[in-house]
Amino acid sequence: MREKGFRWSFIAWNSRCLFVLLSLFGWSTSVLAQDYIGKRLESLSQNEIPELIQVKDLAASEQWLPRTEVVPNLGLSNDVKWLRLKVDPRIENGQLIEIQNAGIDELICYMVCDGEIIATYERGVFHETPVDSRIGTYPSFPIPLVECGELQALFRLQSSKPLLIPLRITGPREVLRGAHERDVLFAAYFGVILVMLLYNLFLFLSIGDRSYLEYSIYILMVGGTQLVLNGYAPVFGAESIPWLNLRLTHFFGVFSGLTTIVFAQNFLRLSHYVPWLHKLLNVYFALYLVAFILTIFDLLVWSYSVINFCAGAIFFLIPGAVITMRKGYAPARYFLIAFSVFIAAVVVFVLKDTGLIPYNQWTFFALPLGSAFEVILLSLALASRINQLKREGAKAREEQLELAQVNEKIVRDQNVVLEERVKKRTFELEETNSTMQGTLNELQSAQQQLIQSEKLASIGQLTAGIAHELNNPINFVSSSAQSLRRDFEDLNAIVEAVKTLPASDPNLESRIQDIHTLLGQLDIEFTQQEIEELLNGIEDGANRTSEIVRGLRIFSRMDGDNFIQADINELMNSTLVVLRSNLRTQSQVTADLAADLPQFSCQPGRLNQVFMNIITNAAQATESTDLSLEEREVVVSTLRVESIGQSWIEVRIKDNGLGMDDAVKAQIFDPFFTTKPVGEGTGLGLSIVMGILRDHNAEVDVQSEVGLGTEFIIRFPI
Amino acid sequence: MINVLYLDDESHNLTAFRAAFRRDFQVHVTTEPTEAVRILREQPIEVIISDQKMPSLSGVEFFELIMPDNPDPIRMLLTGHADIDAVIDAINKGQIYKYISKPWNEAELKSLVEEAAALYHQRKVMAREGQQLITKMDEARVLARRIQQLTAEGSPATPEIRSEIAALANQIDRLLQS
Repeated sequence: MREKGFRWSFIAWNSRCLFVLLSLFGWSTSVLAQDYIGKRLESLSQNEIPELIQVKDLAASEQWLPRTEVVPNLGLSNDVKWLRLKVDPRIENGQLIEIQNAGIDELICYMVCDGEIIATYERGVFHETPVDSRIGTYPSFPIPLVECGELQALFRLQSSKPLLIPLRITGPREVLRGAHERDVLFAAYFGVILVMLLYNLFLFLSIGDRSYLEYSIYILMVGGTQLVLNGYAPVFGAESIPWLNLRLTHFFGVFSGLTTIVFAQNFLRLSHYVPWLHKLLNVYFALYLVAFILTIFDLLVWSYSVINFCAGAIFFLIPGAVITMRKGYAPARYFLIAFSVFIAAVVVFVLKDTGLIPYNQWTFFALPLGSAFEVILLSLALASRINQLKREGAKAREEQLELAQVNEKIVRDQNVVLEERVKKRTFELEETNSTMQGTLNELQSAQQQLIQSEKLASIGQLTAGIAHELNNPINFVSSSAQSLRRDFEDLNAIVEAVKTLPASDPNLESRIQDIHTLLGQLDIEFTQQEIEELLNGIEDGANRTSEIVRGLRIFSRMDGDNFIQADINELMNSTLVVLRSNLRTQSQVTADLAADLPQFSCQPGRLNQVFMNIITNAAQATESTDLSLEEREVVVSTLRVESIGQSWIEVRIKDNGLGMDDAVKAQIFDPFFTTKPVGEGTGLGLSIVMGILRDHNAEVDVQSEVGLGTEFIIRFPI
Repeated sequence: MINVLYLDDESHNLTAFRAAFRRDFQVHVTTEPTEAVRILREQPIEVIISDQKMPSLSGVEFFELIMPDNPDPIRMLLTGHADIDAVIDAINKGQIYKYISKPWNEAELKSLVEEAAALYHQRKVMAREGQQLITKMDEARVLARRIQQLTAEGSPATPEIRSEIAALANQIDRLLQS
């Protein structure tokens, strides 16, 4: 429906345009009736006349050939042409000669009166035409006739364009009127062109479709061509550049041809619908470029010929448009109409030049008229093309939508399947997860048990050591106390004996003798020495017991997973105390603890576990060597170091035991790794140690060499 | 007096032991196992007490070491705490008589030492008596042979007496063999 409506409105609009234009022409018909007097002219070519002949002598020459056309066509060449017009002074005095061809490059008119040149008029591109000699804006070379007995006008003509001579003799009023009419008509034409140009430019700017820009350029070129052909170029100041002014016709011919080709190719989509024509037009395109180059290099006549030849290209556009239309491309119809009109106009224009149809204002105006129609119709064609493209776009979108819907359905169906699969997999995963969670829980509880058993193992080890360490002093202290009592009783006996010794006794001698006997019996010197020894033992025992208890108190802060300030040396000493009895049978343990170490934040209980583990390992490592007890060494040292911009407390535990190779060294902190026989050691000791040290942000370095020993270097940041 | 040898690496223990028991026993103490071996060679030791946990060797190892040369003295092990491995070792390898834990009870230890000494002497007596018995039996066996010979060579005794003597000789033989 919409398309039909569009078509009707198009026809209506079209006919309205036609009506306006027709009435315009109807109005001008009366004044456009021309009275060219080509048949009164005589012509002569430059090569037909002797060199160095005077103009006035030429006027009297017998070689002039009379012309038979109303509008003589002197052809297209570089040659200079001569024309002679005999004026009847009785009728034509005071009138003007008018040649209505703007394309004459040079025209010199000699007025010969009775064999003498009485006036010379120079016109054309190479001559400054006095502005006041113009009538209207149309450069129609009006030449005034003078009074004379036998007046001849000799015209020396030269042009790079076809020399058509629409010449008439008429009064100034008529010249003026004709010029005005032309101006009006061309103004209307240029108005149409300008409107279409602006309209399409505006469309290009708002829609952004490149074809509108191409069309705008096309319109500009077509309008420009008409402008130049009809001599309106000077209006735009072309005369100020003679070189350009001379070639403007050629340039516009070339560019309008080029833009026509490009526009037609793109509009009709020739590369798609009619590839051969597309290629052919490319050839024409190249020919136009040749014409352009010829123009640049001053081969203007050749250039004009090429342009003329190329103009034939538009005839191919008709079959091209027909084929395209047949192939279902609707906009081609408008294109066909537009170009048919234009071609008809061109045909009329060309026929007029060849003299097959009369050269008059009608035929003269055929070209701009056809061109105006063409421009308007093509604009409509372009709109139709844009619509077509839109429809195609919409159709494509619809297809895409349909496709998308189909895709969506497929995706939906697949989604359902996928969802089910995902659900199934999720369920399986959940099941696996719960199984794994169970296993994990079991593992964690097993790990807890292992850590617990490792703790218990170390506690057991510890208890044995401590028990032995405590029982020894307790043993000799308690035993010594009893012995001491007996020794004391012995001494008491003597003291009693001495006490009961009277101050004056006649038997004093014998009593003293008795006491000495008693002293001998009791071996009192031995007893005294023994008492000394027992007291030493008790003292030592008491000291050792209290030392152990103190160490134990420090050591037994195992409950505390809290970080508190503690002295590393105190921790180390307590560890060594509780380990002493165990270590004594294994190795010579020496401690080299730096004084004045600051307290640092740590978990003392857990650190004791660390030191106990490493020191015990070290002692065991020395025990496994062939070294004697005196040669086996474990050295524990603490010191303060400054490294990488920080203070550290460094603990070194060095032994001269078996040492480890790199493979073992790499695994010592792995859980369950042990070098001990099965059943002795859980393999968790150092793994727990590592965990504790990590909690303290400590750095651990282990250096070991087989046969030489191992050194643990632990650094705590402070 | 009972000869007691006490080996311990802790000299205070030795002092305490000597002070406690010097009135009752002949006490020999040392911290060195080599010294202990020397004492064993020179003194008629009846009871040996050794600490289990010593730096150079354990009590059980010490007992193992001295057993071949000194099987008779009664061995007792003294430890700071009950170590089941040490106990098992002590019984299987060291063949100890008693296992005593520190701190010792003086009276108990005293009686244990006395018991051990008594056992030692009892074993000695029994060994001596056994030896005497064997000697006597050997003599009886010789006599029985003699009787057999006499009865076999057609002595003037009556066959009844002869067979009776033979039966007695067989009886002695059987007794000796058992």
